[in-house]
Amino acid sequence: MHRRTVIKNLALIIGGAAILPACHRIGGKASVTLKNVNISADQEKLVGDISETIVPKTNTPGAKDLGLHLFVFKMLDDCYKKEDQQAFMTGMGQFTDIVKNKYDKSFSDLSQKQREEILLNIEQDKDEKSTANPKEIKTFYGIIKGQTVNGYIKSKYFMTKQVVYELVPGRYNARFPYKQKQSA
Amino acid sequence: MANLNIDSVKDRTFDAIVIGSGMSGGWAAKELTDKGLKTLILERGRDVKHNKDYPTTNMYPWEFEHRGELPMAIKEANPIVNRCYAFGEDAAHFFVKDNDHPYVQEKPFDWIRGYQVGGKSLLWARQTQRWSEFDFEGPARDGFAVDWPIRYKDIAPWYSYVEKFAGISGNRDGIAELPDGEFLPAFPLNAVETYFSNHVKSKYSNRHVISARCAHLSKPNQIHLDQGRVQCQERILCQRGCPFGGYFSANASTIPWALKSGHATLRPFSVVQEIIYDEKKGKASGVRVIDTNTKEAIEYYADIIFVNAAALNTNLVLLNSTSHRFPNGLGNDSGVLGKYVAFHNYSAHIGAEYDGEKEWTTDGRNPAGGGYIPRFRNVYKQETNFLRGYASGFSAYRYQQRPWDGVGASLKDNLVKDNLSGWKVGSHMMGETIPKESNYVALDKSLKDQWGIPQLKISVAYDDNDEKMKKDYVEQLTEMFTSAGFTNINASTDNRAPGLDIHEMGGARMGNDPKTSVLNKWNQMHAVKNVFVTDGACMTSTSCQNPSLTYMAFTARAADYAVSEMKKGNI
Repeated sequence: MHRRTVIKNLALIIGGAAILPACHRIGGKASVTLKNVNISADQEKLVGDISETIVPKTNTPGAKDLGLHLFVFKMLDDCYKKEDQQAFMTGMGQFTDIVKNKYDKSFSDLSQKQREEILLNIEQDKDEKSTANPKEIKTFYGIIKGQTVNGYIKSKYFMTKQVVYELVPGRYNARFPYKQKQSA
Repeated sequence: MANLNIDSVKDRTFDAIVIGSGMSGGWAAKELTDKGLKTLILERGRDVKHNKDYPTTNMYPWEFEHRGELPMAIKEANPIVNRCYAFGEDAAHFFVKDNDHPYVQEKPFDWIRGYQVGGKSLLWARQTQRWSEFDFEGPARDGFAVDWPIRYKDIAPWYSYVEKFAGISGNRDGIAELPDGEFLPAFPLNAVETYFSNHVKSKYSNRHVISARCAHLSKPNQIHLDQGRVQCQERILCQRGCPFGGYFSANASTIPWALKSGHATLRPFSVVQEIIYDEKKGKASGVRVIDTNTKEAIEYYADIIFVNAAALNTNLVLLNSTSHRFPNGLGNDSGVLGKYVAFHNYSAHIGAEYDGEKEWTTDGRNPAGGGYIPRFRNVYKQETNFLRGYASGFSAYRYQQRPWDGVGASLKDNLVKDNLSGWKVGSHMMGETIPKESNYVALDKSLKDQWGIPQLKISVAYDDNDEKMKKDYVEQLTEMFTSAGFTNINASTDNRAPGLDIHEMGGARMGNDPKTSVLNKWNQMHAVKNVFVTDGACMTSTSCQNPSLTYMAFTARAADYAVSEMKKGNI
């Protein structure tokens, strides 16, 4: 990472740290115990609701059925740098505030359509220079989105029922006819 | 050691000792025990038994805690080994962790190691090509290093010998610069690899795109079934260890074969501190190992010693084996021990797309990885502003694109749609580097490992020849890709340190002249006739083929020679 970015992140982390204790006091104890990140029950629910918005239960299982939000936490805790974990926590606080200011409700109380709108607004804010959303919110959402989908397509359900993974192909056909299927 | 009785010495005496149990050590063990020699196989790491000790081999992706990704704490604690492509959640247990076995980088060098029975033969990329006459004559023709003391005809029958046992898939392509071998059926090129092969053939008289030759049992013979190995199942999870023995590893093949003979003793957790030189007899009498668990020093004795500790560790063992006769390392009369280390330059790649052949895809997975382009530069004569040349990997593939955009039910739908990409193509360079005296390894004067053995200091770097060759690779492959109608061509180079190729070679090179080399044409020390070095340390030059097959052939040949010399009473 470039030095300049590190310094910038450090400033954000310090800023973020100040608001963390407030988040902890409210919300109660989470069901997951993490080593590097402290999550309250409310925060666990929020991430669960965001994951479920990304991969909702339809006629097939959704994020909560598959425990994808718990996978998000697992990955956050184990596979990200400290500064990303801190940006995640800061972003989570900012996210909660923005939802509160805009709808005067918590994320869980919004309709599916409103939830999707909020998430898409962050997701589609891709320009590096854009200041429409704070950088930490993008990190927060980016980690949830990435790991929810990652956990989904690498779930036993997806790999046995949707796109079947073969552990032992037992063949290599180098020249195999292909015609695009119209649907799955 | 003073209070050890004669029985104990007898128990610690063998006909042969093999230091190392990996790619070449496994072969030494097999050959020596096949010939009836009571052989001690020493391995510094733990035992890894075929199948029994492959904990991840049958795991599905969702069974990995992090779905294949390594935790950040492990990555951050292991910046060196983490740069290796195969260091993932499924195989990290087969790699040496940075802090466990420190070394000194006088210049940046990513030393990737596998300390266990089988060594890196569990982890290798399984590409196997013979050297040709053009490779063995290279140093003499181009005036670098020293002349190889052998030519292709000397090693050719031994290539055949090891190929038949290991199982090598490939086509008989009839290319002088990449001799054919004893092949099992090749894994065929796919539609675009075939297209490119045909195109290159029509445009360039001396360039070829062939099915990569690899150590996979595409169609096993009886000799492979006798090893307990069966047909490759195209899993491409090789780095986990293969329950089918579908690819060649010491664990699946040579080590169990040697043990089955009843003549082998395998001793893991035994790091060799030094080879003991008997001044009176004028030869090596054995080795001193340190039990890595108890830290106890134990001596073992034998008539013949094979050093197969992996290239740089073989250098370390020899440099640390000092005596009145050899104050600068065993067999080091020439002073070249540890010097003229070289490697392969993998630091350029190129990717592109192809808009044709869309009615074709592939089904299953290709263990060979695709195609191989043998060296075409400076083969018959010097024709560029750099010495030697490069081989190239080449592969074409399509993949299911899983667009992650959006959220909700539409995202779920998109993730299962048939959304096959067009053809992508890719290539990477594998360049020969020139051994130089200034590229060397030595013992650090003060730093020691946890067993009191000096740490290895590595001082190896690229040079101007490598830079020119890299530039030429990019230019030539760009031209070939352009001419084939590939689009969005994107060549890239990286600043990887030497070592990440995991093809480090040299330091105890072969040569005709004892004044400028350590080993003779039989991989035998000029100055210590009962010590043989047949791993990467023996290499006089590197050519650009993947080296393991050549180590196997050297080992089998040297073992045959050693035993015949022993029987004649010459050793």
